[in-house]
Amino acid sequence: MNRLPNALIDELVDDLEPVRPMKLAHGIGLIALAALVTIGLVELLDGLWRGILAGEASAYYFIANGMLGLLGAAAALAVLRMASPRVGNTQEGARWALAMFALLPAVAAITLGLQGRLQQIGADPYGLSCFLAGSVFSLLTFGALTAWLRRGAPVSPSRAGIYTGIAAGAIGSFSYGLACPIDTLGHLATWHTLPVVLGAFAGRAVVPGLVRW
Amino acid sequence: MIADEASLAHLMAAAQKGDAASYRVLLAEVQLWLERYFRRRVAPAQLDDLVQEVMVVVHAKRATWDPTRAFLPWLAAIARYRWIDHLRKVYRKAEDELGDHDFAEDSEEEAVMARMSLERLFVHLPAKQCEVIELVKIDGLSIAEASARTGQSESLVKVNIHRGLKKLSALVEKAD
Repeated sequence: MNRLPNALIDELVDDLEPVRPMKLAHGIGLIALAALVTIGLVELLDGLWRGILAGEASAYYFIANGMLGLLGAAAALAVLRMASPRVGNTQEGARWALAMFALLPAVAAITLGLQGRLQQIGADPYGLSCFLAGSVFSLLTFGALTAWLRRGAPVSPSRAGIYTGIAAGAIGSFSYGLACPIDTLGHLATWHTLPVVLGAFAGRAVVPGLVRW
Repeated sequence: MIADEASLAHLMAAAQKGDAASYRVLLAEVQLWLERYFRRRVAPAQLDDLVQEVMVVVHAKRATWDPTRAFLPWLAAIARYRWIDHLRKVYRKAEDELGDHDFAEDSEEEAVMARMSLERLFVHLPAKQCEVIELVKIDGLSIAEASARTGQSESLVKVNIHRGLKKLSALVEKAD
Protein backbone atom coordinates (compact mmCIF):
# COMPACT_ATOMS: atom_id res chain seq x y z
CA MET A 1 0.00 0.00 0.00
CA ASN A 2 1.27 3.46 -0.91
CA ARG A 3 1.61 5.66 2.14
CA LEU A 4 3.84 8.38 0.69
CA PRO A 5 3.17 11.89 1.95
CA ASN A 6 0.88 13.60 -0.52
CA ALA A 7 -0.27 17.19 -0.15
CA LEU A 8 -3.13 16.70 -2.57
CA ILE A 9 -4.50 13.76 -0.62
CA ASP A 10 -4.24 15.78 2.61
CA GLU A 11 -6.12 18.62 0.97
CA LEU A 12 -8.89 16.40 -0.39
CA VAL A 13 -9.28 14.57 2.92
CA ASP A 14 -9.54 17.90 4.75
CA ASP A 15 -12.28 18.92 2.35
CA LEU A 16 -14.23 15.69 2.82
CA GLU A 17 -17.86 16.01 3.79
CA PRO A 18 -20.57 13.37 3.69
CA VAL A 19 -22.40 13.22 0.37
CA ARG A 20 -25.70 11.67 -0.64
CA PRO A 21 -24.94 9.16 -3.39
CA MET A 22 -26.87 9.60 -6.63
CA LYS A 23 -29.03 6.51 -6.78
CA LEU A 24 -30.95 5.47 -9.85
CA ALA A 25 -34.13 5.03 -7.82
CA HIS A 26 -34.01 8.69 -6.75
CA GLY A 27 -33.63 9.77 -10.36
CA ILE A 28 -36.54 7.58 -11.44
CA GLY A 29 -38.64 9.12 -8.68
CA LEU A 30 -37.71 12.63 -9.85
CA ILE A 31 -38.67 11.95 -13.46
CA ALA A 32 -41.87 10.14 -12.46
CA LEU A 33 -42.79 13.18 -10.39
CA ALA A 34 -42.03 15.52 -13.30
CA ALA A 35 -44.23 13.39 -15.59
CA LEU A 36 -47.08 13.32 -13.08
CA VAL A 37 -46.92 17.08 -12.55
CA THR A 38 -46.92 17.54 -16.33
CA ILE A 39 -50.03 15.38 -16.66
CA GLY A 40 -51.60 17.38 -13.82
CA LEU A 41 -50.86 20.60 -15.72
CA VAL A 42 -52.41 19.15 -18.87
CA GLU A 43 -55.56 18.34 -16.88
CA LEU A 44 -55.62 21.85 -15.40
CA LEU A 45 -54.98 23.72 -18.64
CA ASP A 46 -56.67 21.55 -21.26
CA GLY A 47 -58.53 18.78 -19.46
CA LEU A 48 -57.77 15.12 -20.09
CA TRP A 49 -59.87 13.44 -22.78
CA ARG A 50 -62.67 11.57 -21.00
CA GLY A 51 -63.32 9.55 -24.14
CA ILE A 52 -60.31 7.36 -23.36
CA LEU A 53 -62.08 5.59 -20.52
CA ALA A 54 -65.40 5.66 -22.37
CA GLY A 55 -63.87 3.43 -25.07
CA GLU A 56 -63.99 6.10 -27.78
CA ALA A 57 -60.26 6.07 -28.55
CA SER A 58 -58.97 4.08 -31.53
CA ALA A 59 -56.28 1.42 -31.38
CA TYR A 60 -53.90 3.92 -33.05
CA TYR A 61 -54.38 6.21 -30.06
CA PHE A 62 -53.28 3.57 -27.56
CA ILE A 63 -50.44 2.31 -29.74
CA ALA A 64 -49.02 5.79 -30.46
CA ASN A 65 -49.28 7.07 -26.91
CA GLY A 66 -48.07 3.76 -25.52
CA MET A 67 -44.99 4.00 -27.75
CA LEU A 68 -44.41 7.60 -26.66
CA GLY A 69 -44.67 6.62 -23.01
CA LEU A 70 -42.29 3.70 -23.39
CA LEU A 71 -39.81 5.75 -25.41
CA GLY A 72 -39.92 8.48 -22.77
CA ALA A 73 -39.29 5.97 -19.98
CA ALA A 74 -36.46 4.20 -21.82
CA ALA A 75 -34.71 7.43 -22.85
CA ALA A 76 -35.11 8.95 -19.38
CA LEU A 77 -33.63 5.82 -17.82
CA ALA A 78 -30.67 6.06 -20.20
CA VAL A 79 -30.08 9.69 -19.17
CA LEU A 80 -30.28 8.85 -15.47
CA ARG A 81 -27.71 6.08 -15.97
CA MET A 82 -25.44 8.37 -17.97
CA ALA A 83 -25.21 10.72 -14.99
CA SER A 84 -23.35 8.01 -13.08
CA PRO A 85 -20.68 6.85 -15.52
CA ARG A 86 -19.13 3.43 -15.67
CA VAL A 87 -17.33 1.36 -18.25
CA GLY A 88 -19.93 -1.08 -19.52
CA ASN A 89 -22.80 1.40 -19.42
CA THR A 90 -24.90 1.14 -22.57
CA GLN A 91 -28.09 2.75 -23.83
CA GLU A 92 -29.32 -0.26 -25.78
CA GLY A 93 -32.82 -0.10 -24.30
CA ALA A 94 -33.32 3.49 -25.39
CA ARG A 95 -31.91 2.73 -28.83
CA TRP A 96 -34.34 -0.12 -29.42
CA ALA A 97 -37.22 1.93 -28.06
CA LEU A 98 -36.31 4.69 -30.51
CA ALA A 99 -36.15 2.22 -33.38
CA MET A 100 -39.54 0.85 -32.37
CA PHE A 101 -40.99 4.33 -32.16
CA ALA A 102 -39.65 5.23 -35.62
CA LEU A 103 -42.04 2.61 -37.01
CA LEU A 104 -44.94 4.93 -36.28
CA PRO A 105 -44.08 7.75 -38.71
CA ALA A 106 -42.61 5.25 -41.16
CA VAL A 107 -45.83 3.21 -41.29
CA ALA A 108 -47.91 6.38 -41.53
CA ALA A 109 -45.82 7.68 -44.43
CA ILE A 110 -46.04 4.37 -46.28
CA THR A 111 -49.74 3.71 -45.80
CA LEU A 112 -50.93 7.27 -46.32
CA GLY A 113 -48.54 7.65 -49.24
CA LEU A 114 -49.82 4.51 -50.93
CA GLN A 115 -53.37 5.71 -50.39
CA GLY A 116 -52.52 9.17 -51.77
CA ARG A 117 -53.62 10.85 -48.54
CA LEU A 118 -50.33 12.40 -47.37
CA GLN A 119 -51.68 15.92 -47.92
CA GLN A 120 -54.13 15.33 -45.07
CA ILE A 121 -51.26 15.75 -42.62
CA GLY A 122 -50.47 19.28 -43.74
CA ALA A 123 -54.13 20.17 -43.86
CA ASP A 124 -54.70 19.07 -40.24
CA PRO A 125 -56.06 22.22 -38.51
CA TYR A 126 -55.07 21.00 -35.04
CA GLY A 127 -51.63 19.65 -35.92
CA LEU A 128 -49.50 22.69 -35.15
CA SER A 129 -51.18 23.34 -31.82
CA CYS A 130 -50.62 19.71 -30.77
CA PHE A 131 -46.95 19.96 -31.75
CA LEU A 132 -46.49 23.18 -29.81
CA ALA A 133 -48.39 21.93 -26.76
CA GLY A 134 -46.44 18.66 -26.68
CA SER A 135 -43.19 20.62 -26.90
CA VAL A 136 -44.15 23.06 -24.14
CA PHE A 137 -45.26 20.24 -21.85
CA SER A 138 -41.85 18.61 -22.29
CA LEU A 139 -40.05 21.47 -20.55
CA LEU A 140 -40.48 20.22 -16.99
CA THR A 141 -38.98 16.81 -17.77
CA PHE A 142 -36.24 18.48 -19.80
CA GLY A 143 -35.34 20.63 -16.81
CA ALA A 144 -35.44 17.73 -14.34
CA LEU A 145 -33.18 15.54 -16.49
CA THR A 146 -30.75 18.38 -17.12
CA ALA A 147 -30.58 19.13 -13.41
CA TRP A 148 -29.86 15.47 -12.71
CA LEU A 149 -27.10 15.43 -15.32
CA ARG A 150 -25.57 18.59 -13.87
CA ARG A 151 -25.29 16.86 -10.49
CA GLY A 152 -23.76 13.86 -12.20
CA ALA A 153 -20.73 13.20 -14.34
CA PRO A 154 -21.89 12.32 -17.86
CA VAL A 155 -18.98 11.23 -20.03
CA SER A 156 -20.92 11.60 -23.29
CA PRO A 157 -22.49 15.05 -22.96
CA SER A 158 -23.70 15.17 -26.56
CA ARG A 159 -25.42 11.82 -26.40
CA ALA A 160 -26.83 12.66 -22.98
CA GLY A 161 -28.25 15.84 -24.51
CA ILE A 162 -29.93 13.99 -27.37
CA TYR A 163 -31.50 11.42 -25.04
CA THR A 164 -32.60 14.18 -22.66
CA GLY A 165 -34.46 15.87 -25.52
CA ILE A 166 -35.96 12.60 -26.74
CA ALA A 167 -37.13 11.64 -23.24
CA ALA A 168 -38.57 15.08 -22.54
CA GLY A 169 -40.25 15.33 -25.95
CA ALA A 170 -41.77 11.86 -25.63
CA ILE A 171 -43.05 12.43 -22.09
CA GLY A 172 -44.37 15.88 -22.99
CA SER A 173 -46.13 14.60 -26.09
CA PHE A 174 -47.47 11.57 -24.19
CA SER A 175 -48.86 13.86 -21.48
CA TYR A 176 -50.53 16.20 -23.93
CA GLY A 177 -51.74 13.18 -25.89
CA LEU A 178 -53.97 12.34 -22.93
CA ALA A 179 -55.92 15.53 -23.71
CA CYS A 180 -56.00 15.24 -27.51
CA PRO A 181 -59.05 13.44 -28.92
CA ILE A 182 -57.72 13.25 -32.48
CA ASP A 183 -56.74 9.63 -32.87
CA THR A 184 -55.97 9.19 -36.56
CA LEU A 185 -52.70 7.61 -37.64
CA GLY A 186 -51.57 10.62 -39.67
CA HIS A 187 -52.15 13.07 -36.81
CA LEU A 188 -50.49 10.96 -34.13
CA ALA A 189 -47.55 9.86 -36.26
CA THR A 190 -46.74 13.41 -37.30
CA TRP A 191 -47.80 16.09 -34.88
CA HIS A 192 -47.34 14.01 -31.72
CA THR A 193 -43.98 12.74 -32.97
CA LEU A 194 -42.45 16.09 -33.87
CA PRO A 195 -41.92 17.15 -30.21
CA VAL A 196 -39.54 14.17 -29.91
CA VAL A 197 -37.59 15.29 -32.98
CA LEU A 198 -37.49 18.89 -31.79
CA GLY A 199 -36.43 17.69 -28.33
CA ALA A 200 -33.54 15.69 -29.75
CA PHE A 201 -32.18 18.71 -31.64
CA ALA A 202 -32.75 21.08 -28.71
CA GLY A 203 -31.13 18.64 -26.29
CA ARG A 204 -28.11 18.22 -28.53
CA ALA A 205 -27.75 21.99 -28.84
CA VAL A 206 -28.41 23.07 -25.26
CA VAL A 207 -27.57 20.30 -22.80
CA PRO A 208 -23.85 19.57 -23.46
CA GLY A 209 -22.85 23.11 -22.52
CA LEU A 210 -24.81 22.86 -19.29
CA VAL A 211 -23.53 19.49 -18.13
CA ARG A 212 -19.86 19.48 -19.17
CA TRP A 213 -17.51 19.05 -16.21
CA MET B 1 -0.30 -4.21 -4.54
CA ILE B 2 -3.43 -2.24 -5.27
CA ALA B 3 -6.53 -3.07 -3.25
CA ASP B 4 -9.21 -5.17 -4.90
CA GLU B 5 -12.63 -4.05 -6.11
CA ALA B 6 -14.46 -5.06 -2.96
CA SER B 7 -12.03 -3.19 -0.67
CA LEU B 8 -12.13 -0.07 -2.83
CA ALA B 9 -15.94 -0.11 -2.94
CA HIS B 10 -16.03 -0.52 0.83
CA LEU B 11 -13.64 2.40 1.32
CA MET B 12 -15.59 4.60 -1.10
CA ALA B 13 -18.89 3.84 0.60
CA ALA B 14 -17.33 4.86 3.92
CA ALA B 15 -15.85 8.00 2.33
CA GLN B 16 -19.27 9.02 1.02
CA LYS B 17 -20.43 8.95 4.63
CA GLY B 18 -17.57 11.25 5.64
CA ASP B 19 -15.04 8.72 7.00
CA ALA B 20 -11.74 10.60 6.57
CA ALA B 21 -9.47 7.67 7.45
CA SER B 22 -11.09 5.44 4.81
CA TYR B 23 -10.94 8.27 2.32
CA ARG B 24 -7.22 8.76 2.86
CA VAL B 25 -6.56 5.08 2.19
CA LEU B 26 -8.87 5.13 -0.82
CA LEU B 27 -7.16 8.14 -2.39
CA ALA B 28 -3.74 6.57 -1.99
CA GLU B 29 -5.04 3.42 -3.70
CA VAL B 30 -6.74 5.44 -6.41
CA GLN B 31 -3.51 7.31 -7.05
CA LEU B 32 -1.61 4.05 -7.54
CA TRP B 33 -4.35 2.63 -9.73
CA LEU B 34 -4.43 5.72 -11.93
CA GLU B 35 -0.65 5.82 -12.30
CA ARG B 36 -0.72 2.26 -13.55
CA TYR B 37 -3.78 2.88 -15.71
CA PHE B 38 -2.32 5.86 -17.55
CA ARG B 39 1.32 4.80 -17.62
CA ARG B 40 1.47 3.56 -21.17
CA ARG B 41 -0.83 6.16 -22.72
CA VAL B 42 0.45 9.40 -21.23
CA ALA B 43 3.84 11.01 -21.62
CA PRO B 44 5.80 10.47 -18.37
CA ALA B 45 6.17 14.17 -17.60
CA GLN B 46 2.40 14.62 -17.80
CA LEU B 47 1.44 11.57 -15.79
CA ASP B 48 1.42 13.23 -12.37
CA ASP B 49 -0.64 16.17 -13.56
CA LEU B 50 -3.25 13.92 -15.13
CA VAL B 51 -3.42 11.63 -12.09
CA GLN B 52 -3.88 14.61 -9.80
CA GLU B 53 -6.50 16.10 -12.07
CA VAL B 54 -8.50 12.88 -12.02
CA MET B 55 -8.18 12.64 -8.24
CA VAL B 56 -9.65 16.12 -7.88
CA VAL B 57 -12.51 15.08 -10.16
CA VAL B 58 -13.04 11.89 -8.16
CA HIS B 59 -13.34 14.08 -5.07
CA ALA B 60 -15.74 16.54 -6.70
CA LYS B 61 -17.90 13.84 -8.28
CA ARG B 62 -17.80 11.24 -5.50
CA ALA B 63 -21.56 11.43 -5.07
CA THR B 64 -22.04 10.08 -8.61
CA TRP B 65 -20.79 6.64 -7.57
CA ASP B 66 -23.72 4.44 -6.66
CA PRO B 67 -22.67 2.18 -3.75
CA THR B 68 -24.76 -0.65 -5.17
CA ARG B 69 -22.47 -0.77 -8.21
CA ALA B 70 -18.81 -1.66 -8.75
CA PHE B 71 -16.24 1.04 -8.05
CA LEU B 72 -13.52 0.43 -10.65
CA PRO B 73 -15.76 0.74 -13.76
CA TRP B 74 -16.86 4.13 -12.38
CA LEU B 75 -13.27 5.20 -11.78
CA ALA B 76 -12.20 3.93 -15.21
CA ALA B 77 -14.96 5.88 -16.97
CA ILE B 78 -13.87 9.10 -15.26
CA ALA B 79 -10.22 8.33 -16.03
CA ARG B 80 -10.96 7.69 -19.71
CA TYR B 81 -13.03 10.86 -20.00
CA ARG B 82 -10.28 13.00 -18.50
CA TRP B 83 -7.60 11.25 -20.51
CA ILE B 84 -9.36 12.10 -23.79
CA ASP B 85 -9.78 15.65 -22.54
CA HIS B 86 -6.07 15.67 -21.79
CA LEU B 87 -5.23 14.41 -25.29
CA ARG B 88 -7.25 17.24 -26.78
CA LYS B 89 -5.20 19.76 -24.84
CA VAL B 90 -1.78 18.29 -25.45
CA TYR B 91 0.44 20.02 -27.96
CA ARG B 92 3.95 19.37 -28.91
CA LYS B 93 6.25 18.69 -25.98
CA ALA B 94 9.53 16.86 -25.98
CA GLU B 95 8.98 13.69 -24.04
CA ASP B 96 10.94 10.59 -23.34
CA GLU B 97 10.13 7.47 -25.26
CA LEU B 98 7.32 5.60 -23.60
CA GLY B 99 8.02 2.21 -22.18
CA ASP B 100 5.86 -0.84 -22.45
CA HIS B 101 3.97 -1.36 -19.21
CA ASP B 102 1.13 -3.65 -20.11
CA PHE B 103 -0.97 -5.07 -17.31
CA ALA B 104 -0.12 -8.65 -16.56
CA GLU B 105 -3.28 -10.61 -17.29
CA ASP B 106 -2.77 -13.35 -14.76
CA SER B 107 -6.02 -13.24 -12.84
CA GLU B 108 -9.72 -12.68 -13.32
CA GLU B 109 -9.40 -9.19 -11.92
CA GLU B 110 -6.63 -8.37 -14.39
CA ALA B 111 -8.85 -9.62 -17.20
CA VAL B 112 -11.59 -7.24 -16.05
CA MET B 113 -8.99 -4.48 -15.88
CA ALA B 114 -7.95 -5.19 -19.43
CA ARG B 115 -11.53 -4.68 -20.61
CA MET B 116 -11.55 -1.25 -18.95
CA SER B 117 -8.09 -0.27 -20.16
CA LEU B 118 -7.23 2.54 -22.50
CA GLU B 119 -5.90 -0.01 -24.98
CA ARG B 120 -9.45 -1.25 -25.53
CA LEU B 121 -10.40 2.17 -26.85
CA PHE B 122 -7.67 2.20 -29.47
CA VAL B 123 -8.88 -1.13 -30.82
CA HIS B 124 -11.95 0.66 -32.19
CA LEU B 125 -9.95 3.27 -34.09
CA PRO B 126 -8.66 2.89 -37.65
CA ALA B 127 -4.90 2.30 -37.64
CA LYS B 128 -4.14 5.66 -39.29
CA GLN B 129 -6.04 7.62 -36.63
CA CYS B 130 -4.50 5.59 -33.85
CA GLU B 131 -1.00 6.11 -35.22
CA VAL B 132 -1.16 9.91 -35.47
CA ILE B 133 -2.82 10.32 -32.08
CA GLU B 134 -0.03 8.31 -30.52
CA LEU B 135 2.67 10.25 -32.36
CA VAL B 136 1.32 13.77 -31.83
CA LYS B 137 -0.71 13.60 -28.63
CA ILE B 138 1.31 11.08 -26.66
CA ASP B 139 4.84 11.03 -28.07
CA GLY B 140 4.79 14.79 -28.61
CA LEU B 141 5.76 15.00 -32.29
CA SER B 142 4.70 18.00 -34.35
CA ILE B 143 2.15 17.66 -37.13
CA ALA B 144 4.95 17.97 -39.70
CA GLU B 145 7.04 15.29 -37.99
CA ALA B 146 4.07 12.96 -37.76
CA SER B 147 3.33 13.62 -41.41
CA ALA B 148 6.89 12.73 -42.40
CA ARG B 149 6.88 9.64 -40.19
CA THR B 150 3.57 8.23 -41.42
CA GLY B 151 3.46 9.43 -45.02
CA GLN B 152 0.10 11.11 -44.37
CA SER B 153 -0.22 14.72 -45.49
CA GLU B 154 -0.27 17.35 -42.71
CA SER B 155 -3.95 18.03 -43.39
CA LEU B 156 -4.72 14.35 -43.16
CA VAL B 157 -2.82 14.07 -39.88
CA LYS B 158 -4.97 16.88 -38.43
CA VAL B 159 -8.17 15.35 -39.75
CA ASN B 160 -7.27 11.91 -38.43
CA ILE B 161 -6.45 13.31 -34.99
CA HIS B 162 -9.71 15.22 -34.89
CA ARG B 163 -11.79 12.25 -36.02
CA GLY B 164 -9.93 9.85 -33.77
CA LEU B 165 -10.44 11.95 -30.65
CA LYS B 166 -14.08 12.43 -31.52
CA LYS B 167 -14.52 8.70 -31.84
CA LEU B 168 -12.64 8.04 -28.61
CA SER B 169 -14.93 10.38 -26.72
CA ALA B 170 -17.92 8.36 -27.89
CA LEU B 171 -16.36 5.17 -26.56
CA VAL B 172 -15.67 6.17 -22.96
CA GLU B 173 -18.14 3.72 -21.44
CA LYS B 174 -17.52 0.95 -23.94
CA ALA B 175 -16.34 -2.24 -22.28
CA ASP B 176 -15.33 -4.46 -25.19
